Amino acid sequence: MAKWGMVIDLEKCVGCQACTIACGMENTRLPGEHWQDVIFFQEGTYPNTELKWFPRPCMHCENPSCVAVCPTRATYKTEEGQVLVDWERCIGCKYCMIACPYGVRFYTEEAPRYGGPDLKAVFPAADAHSWSPPWKAPQEDWKHGVGVQPHDVVSKCTFCYHRVSKAPKGTADLDPSNPVMREYTPACVVACSPGARFFGDLSNPNSEVNKQIANKNGVRLLDHLGNRPQVYYLTGVGGAIPNTHTTKA
Amino acid sequence: MTDLSIHTGLTRRRFLQATGAAGALGAAGLSFDAANGLTLQKVHAQPAAGPAGQTVITKSFCAQCPARCGIDVYTTNGRVHAIYGTLDNPLAGGKLCPKGHYGVYLLYDADRIKGPMKRTNPKKGRDEDPKFVPISWDEALQTVADRLNALREKGESHRYATITGRGWGYTDVGLLKQFGQLYGTPNFNLGHSSICSDASETVKHIMDGHHAYSAYDYSNCNYLLVFGAGFLESFRPFTGNMRNWGIMRSKAPKTKVTVVDVHLNTTGSAADRLLLTKPGTDGALALAMAHVILSEGLWDRQFVGDFVPVEQPKDADAPRLPEHKFEPGKEVDPATFKEIWTVGVAEWWNVELKDRTPEWAEKITTVPARDIAAVAREFALTKPAVALFERGASAHTNGVYNGMAIHALNALTGNMFAKGGLRGYQMKTAWAKLPIKAEDFMDDYAKAPERKKPRVDGAKSKRYPLAKNMIQEIAINSLKGEPYKLDTVMFYMTGPIFSAPDCSKWEEALRQIFVIDTSPYPGETNRFADLILPDNTYLERLQIADTYPYEGYPISMIRTPAVKPIFDTKTFGDAVIEIGKRIKGPTSEYYKKIGNTENIVKWMCEGFKDKPGDNGVTDFETFAQKGVWYRKPYAYLQERGVFYEWDGKGYNKVMTPEEVKAKVMPTPTGKFEIKVTELEHHAEFVHERLGIAPERAPFPQWVAPRHGGDGDLHFISPKLAGQAEGRSANLPHVAAMIQPTQGGKRNVFLEMHPEAAGKRGIKDGDRVRIKNKVGKIEAVVRVTHTTRPDTVALPMIHGHWAQGRWAQGAGRLPTGSTNEVTENLSEPLSGLACFHSGLVSVEKV
Repeated sequence: MAKWGMVIDLEKCVGCQACTIACGMENTRLPGEHWQDVIFFQEGTYPNTELKWFPRPCMHCENPSCVAVCPTRATYKTEEGQVLVDWERCIGCKYCMIACPYGVRFYTEEAPRYGGPDLKAVFPAADAHSWSPPWKAPQEDWKHGVGVQPHDVVSKCTFCYHRVSKAPKGTADLDPSNPVMREYTPACVVACSPGARFFGDLSNPNSEVNKQIANKNGVRLLDHLGNRPQVYYLTGVGGAIPNTHTTKA
Repeated sequence: MTDLSIHTGLTRRRFLQATGAAGALGAAGLSFDAANGLTLQKVHAQPAAGPAGQTVITKSFCAQCPARCGIDVYTTNGRVHAIYGTLDNPLAGGKLCPKGHYGVYLLYDADRIKGPMKRTNPKKGRDEDPKFVPISWDEALQTVADRLNALREKGESHRYATITGRGWGYTDVGLLKQFGQLYGTPNFNLGHSSICSDASETVKHIMDGHHAYSAYDYSNCNYLLVFGAGFLESFRPFTGNMRNWGIMRSKAPKTKVTVVDVHLNTTGSAADRLLLTKPGTDGALALAMAHVILSEGLWDRQFVGDFVPVEQPKDADAPRLPEHKFEPGKEVDPATFKEIWTVGVAEWWNVELKDRTPEWAEKITTVPARDIAAVAREFALTKPAVALFERGASAHTNGVYNGMAIHALNALTGNMFAKGGLRGYQMKTAWAKLPIKAEDFMDDYAKAPERKKPRVDGAKSKRYPLAKNMIQEIAINSLKGEPYKLDTVMFYMTGPIFSAPDCSKWEEALRQIFVIDTSPYPGETNRFADLILPDNTYLERLQIADTYPYEGYPISMIRTPAVKPIFDTKTFGDAVIEIGKRIKGPTSEYYKKIGNTENIVKWMCEGFKDKPGDNGVTDFETFAQKGVWYRKPYAYLQERGVFYEWDGKGYNKVMTPEEVKAKVMPTPTGKFEIKVTELEHHAEFVHERLGIAPERAPFPQWVAPRHGGDGDLHFISPKLAGQAEGRSANLPHVAAMIQPTQGGKRNVFLEMHPEAAGKRGIKDGDRVRIKNKVGKIEAVVRVTHTTRPDTVALPMIHGHWAQGRWAQGAGRLPTGSTNEVTENLSEPLSGLACFHSGLVSVEKV
């Protein structure tokens, strides 16, 4: 059984947000419903000023706070490590959104903040979906939080469950430059131009993700909270993790 | 009813909302689980799936910037739902920048125009509803042809113009030259390049002989020096830049990067060193770097040459004479400096460089002298290296001279045509030539000497003798009737009424002109249009194009339609051909023979039979399958001052100076001209327009910029990473991700330094007025350390007032185009509009 994990090399990340946009397209997200976001902040004083950015998907924690608080067991951890929401069970109480230390969960009914009309109203659904744009992706699996969600639920990054779950058993690395593995690789990893993202099996000691973590001192966000994320960051000399105490993996 | 809140934390009201109706409670699957108490099995039932469809991948290329990355378009059940980079396309390498993924939304944009239309409200204005009514394609095309035929009958065919933006080559803008020839107008293709990046092409043209963008070998480069180019935001090819960034920053040795800009962007922040210079002073920095390189003896002797050794006294006991060198403040004897592949280095030292010390540059740029000297040393001593520049350095009245100083650094350090350096220029694709020649279809009218009229934009005129295009002059020239007034204009992929400097002038001009817009989307041009001939979006088109320069070897790509046009639209090239068929006389015959753009594409692919692509593309079918044709490698290489040509196995053939001149550096001297022949020819013009003494005109030098507008702050309008070609202001997905310094989510912000803001009583988040003698707009301020105290930055492309429901959403700011406060001022040699030099004042609203 694989234990899927991601490594993000902050030294290579250039803050272009192609991950955000590719994810939004692959998973038919509403504008601003950034399952995969990049957070920008400025530090320093002119002329020695810097701009920093931090790409942030769901951490798919080994010990997820969201699962612990979900009153309906809609949020759960799969055997292969993804933290998912079963939309058929989710009642939209948002407990998980409060419990999650990483802010990676989204409630469908948030008022649009992008200016102009609500896309949900412009492309309404005729059935139980919350909206139905013509570019809607074909995959649909509400038990795993995949597809366009119904109204009043919480949605989140699935580690592209609909792609990754089809990878051949025993796969160590989902490398998008390998044509065989490309279609199973999460959208953000496929899209990343500088190649800052790696995805693979954390339980396989020979996987590329484990090599990166070991060789480049992979760290986890807010590790002191004990959630044990399955997303690791490589800070190199150019990257930084915001406001966190980090420990070596 | 059980008290649900005890077990689930739910209120009754919340639960009823979640389930939709109280009566649905039972059906919703409330059950009791012995271990867990009350649980919900199913609040929402996934609707039954439709018929499972096959997902089809069609090959195309992106349209969000000029780079043309190959794309895989994913379509299921006739709906496009995803776009990714094509893996075996050398430019995309399986990747795309954020913009590439927007194509899906652009296809299904809810504001798209659904078919040809004509205006019924004769009054034109920002707030006038054109009252468009749908018409048939036949009526639309015939309306254009009737107007054009009528102009011809009056001998006024020159009063018809096509004004173009991003052309894709042979099947759209590439058709217009023949149209102009046959129909009889010099204004067949008034391009937008003078509001794009013409200065960088002009610099390359006059110094190394290529009027083109350069191909850089980033992945082998060890030092990258970037002047005023958003390398990680907007510089082309963006995806290629980012892919190479990943390589540059993780290879051994790691590529060191220095960025020169006037505000902090992701490029500057990701770099090892950021030099925040005063707007328009990049040239001074580069000159000081050249000064250091020469005075410290760091130039590349194998490419540039060297001083001849001083003849020493024969008497061994006599004191030795000092060797020649470049000493600050002192002239050298040019006869003592023997050059190899450059022309004019010693003279340049004498007329300009000897006094351009880092200390001198510090006074001009505010960048500390020690930083300038450090970068100069690093750049010269780290090989291979690349110095590149774009509009930040060149969109100023001194832009070409700034660019010349920067480009000269590549020659001084021997990085021209070198591995890991400025690798070269774009080689051509093996397209077959069309078997039909327009010349054979010209009638007496088209051949008559009266057809030789000047272009309305003034490019190549006495005022702009070297400029390729001057789109920013069209409105004022036509209004003044100098050289004449336009009657009918067709716009393709450009909207100078928003994107040209002092854009408001276009509103008056377009009131007097019959305007045909071809955009498939609403916009400001559309608001002033009389006729709409909506183009297909790029996912609905068959089209071919050549690459943006990448590594020099030829790459071409094809768009195959992912879906049939979803509305009643027509590919622009086909509309041109259809209009041609309706022009009286032999023109009509020519276009009937051409037929349509599909014929052109298929004809041209015949060229691949003799020159198959490295990926096995030999004809139209294999091209459509792979999406790309390319043949490696780039044919030439300069190494240690020797030029080599690829002989099929390696760079083995040593080239003679004559061959280098013919094939690699086609300047008048066949050398890299630091003393520029073209500027010697135009010395009087340079003197008149820039006040430079004619004898100094040929050399890169410091020319103080003249700033347009008025006020106490410099105003720049950078391009963001998420700026999709033209439409991003109306894409809610873009509005939701606008980052980084601009803060994101709905609006872009005016970046303002805390000191500048404090003096004016402005606080973070305040609404402010940006104004000068040209006009005024309003925006929200972000008080930030990301810009110089003397410079404010507002990203371009936002502030659209007619682009659609999202761009015009209530409360969206800025209130107008950055070009409403940008004076129409142009760099005299290239004609490039001076976008990054202007002055404004900013006040709280």
